[in-house]
Amino acid sequence: MIKVHNLKKQIASVDAMDGLSFSAENGHITGLLGPNGAGKTTCLRTVFGLLQADDGYAEIDGIKVHEDPMAAKQQLGLFPDPCGLYERLTPREYIEFYAQLSGMTKTAAKAATQRVIEQLKMTDIADRRCQGFSQGQRMKTALAQAIVHQPRNIILDEPTRGLDVMSTRVLRELLLMLKEQGHCVLFSSHVMQEVAALCDHVVVMAKGKVVAQGTPDQLCEQTGKASLEEAFIVLIGSDEGIAA
Amino acid sequence: MMRQVNILFKKELLDAYRDKRSVMAGLYYAFGAPIVMCLLFSILLQQMASPEALKITIEGADRAPNLVQYLDSAEISHSDADDVKPIRLEISEDYQQDMAHGRSATVVIVADKSDSKLIKSVRRLETALLRYNSEVAGLRLVARGIDPGLMRALDVQTHDQATPDAKGGLFLGIVTLSIIIAVFYSAMNLGIDTSAGERERNSLALLLSHPLSSMQIVLAKVAAIATFSILGLALVLVVSKFAYAMVAWEQLGFSITLDIRFILVSLIIGIPIALMSASMLIFVSFMAKSFKEAQSYVTMVLMVPVGLSMMTSYDIATETIQWLPIAAQQYAMIELIKGNALPYAPLGVASVFTLALFALFTYLSSRMLKSEKVVFGL
Repeated sequence: MIKVHNLKKQIASVDAMDGLSFSAENGHITGLLGPNGAGKTTCLRTVFGLLQADDGYAEIDGIKVHEDPMAAKQQLGLFPDPCGLYERLTPREYIEFYAQLSGMTKTAAKAATQRVIEQLKMTDIADRRCQGFSQGQRMKTALAQAIVHQPRNIILDEPTRGLDVMSTRVLRELLLMLKEQGHCVLFSSHVMQEVAALCDHVVVMAKGKVVAQGTPDQLCEQTGKASLEEAFIVLIGSDEGIAA
Repeated sequence: MMRQVNILFKKELLDAYRDKRSVMAGLYYAFGAPIVMCLLFSILLQQMASPEALKITIEGADRAPNLVQYLDSAEISHSDADDVKPIRLEISEDYQQDMAHGRSATVVIVADKSDSKLIKSVRRLETALLRYNSEVAGLRLVARGIDPGLMRALDVQTHDQATPDAKGGLFLGIVTLSIIIAVFYSAMNLGIDTSAGERERNSLALLLSHPLSSMQIVLAKVAAIATFSILGLALVLVVSKFAYAMVAWEQLGFSITLDIRFILVSLIIGIPIALMSASMLIFVSFMAKSFKEAQSYVTMVLMVPVGLSMMTSYDIATETIQWLPIAAQQYAMIELIKGNALPYAPLGVASVFTLALFALFTYLSSRMLKSEKVVFGL
């Protein structure tokens, strides 16, 4: 379970986060939806303890990130944007390395790596160096890294960018499976279909604030629109109206 | 604590080993430097051992055949070719007469003494003439039944206390300089790649999102870079051992022999330097905002150890700087080649100083990794 409480952060005189609060439950897929520059990545980086919030705090399974970052990180898997691959390592080496860093023994890491490689159908690229990989291959490698150690909480930053239809389906199945297993999945996106198809809970963000949250249906109902996309535009637009 | 460092250390080694460009840059120095030095020394030694024939213009040579013959035996002779030095030796017209009557015969050296390139040749000619002078004078005294020893009121004797090996001071300085600098240069590119490069490729943020502290990250990286530094040092030592064995030292009466003991001791005193150099590389690279910027900063910062090493090589302020890092280690290596005892006090103090710098740079780097400005290159 991931909880952020009243997060505030100024980056170069811009309010990247302005009193942001929401929570992502275990066994749920929570979508962080917002236009470019809404503060999604800043929020996720704060949850990981990479950024210090000016005010407020993030909490992972009841552990406050700024108080015990090591213990908090232990409960997390991260799929970052950009991927952050090591070009000279093969996906197998890369995934195994991060599995070990997350606390697995060498043998356990090896087995887990093999499992996740098969699960993501990337056996063909597993032993090639990452240099020259396509966007989709990079994404799969990064995704494997995020889930290899079976963390309770998984955070994905724009996980569908650059994926083809087949890979998107794999990702979707994977996220649903993680949800079934009771993991807490939090992902940021601006692709409406993804969010509509997957999320149990949607948090709509704009200008560092939460403008609305609920199930996709609730959001549609709230705005009186038929699709999430329409609802989203109304939510964001109304925010801009207030701000103006 | 050590487990995380070890996992990252192994990954860094594998990553660095596959970074062919950086590894080649390191190897290039370790192989190239001793070989270039070797060629340079061989040419220098040849010049020092056999002085070139000095060609000058001698006017009136036929009036003084004995003098001309004497000069010739000292490799000074008349020539009309292009390689003649602008030095003229004029033998006066009454030279033969003066000689025959036991008077001072006049010879005139005409040359521009302000020309620094010429001054050595002029001195050589003057010395040869003086020697001829005392030889003839001695003969004259003997002919008159006087002991030529009377002319020598002072018997100046110089006892050269320099051991043959000590004479090669400058050569020793340059040899050890090229060895010490290998510690810095053989892992320079790797150091930049693993810090500034890692940030530029966006993998630093992901690494920091995992449960390991910034101190563990810095320690693992420093250990990996230092490992490559030590490998570079070992390589340059082995290549030097064989390369310098081929230089014809005997012409100068000393030799530079790098034995196994020297190699082992150098490796041990090189470890603190390697740690210091690695932590410095990381610190400077993280200070920079990009890979390119890091490259130029590192090149500038490396002037400091090179400068310290140069000062030792050229024997500048040795008393003071022999207590400083790098200078002290190099001084110890020079003493070792000379066959003297290791200067334990300066070496110990400097090694502790070197390790203190390593600790400082490591601490500062790990603090920097906690700053979001540094991590995201803001």
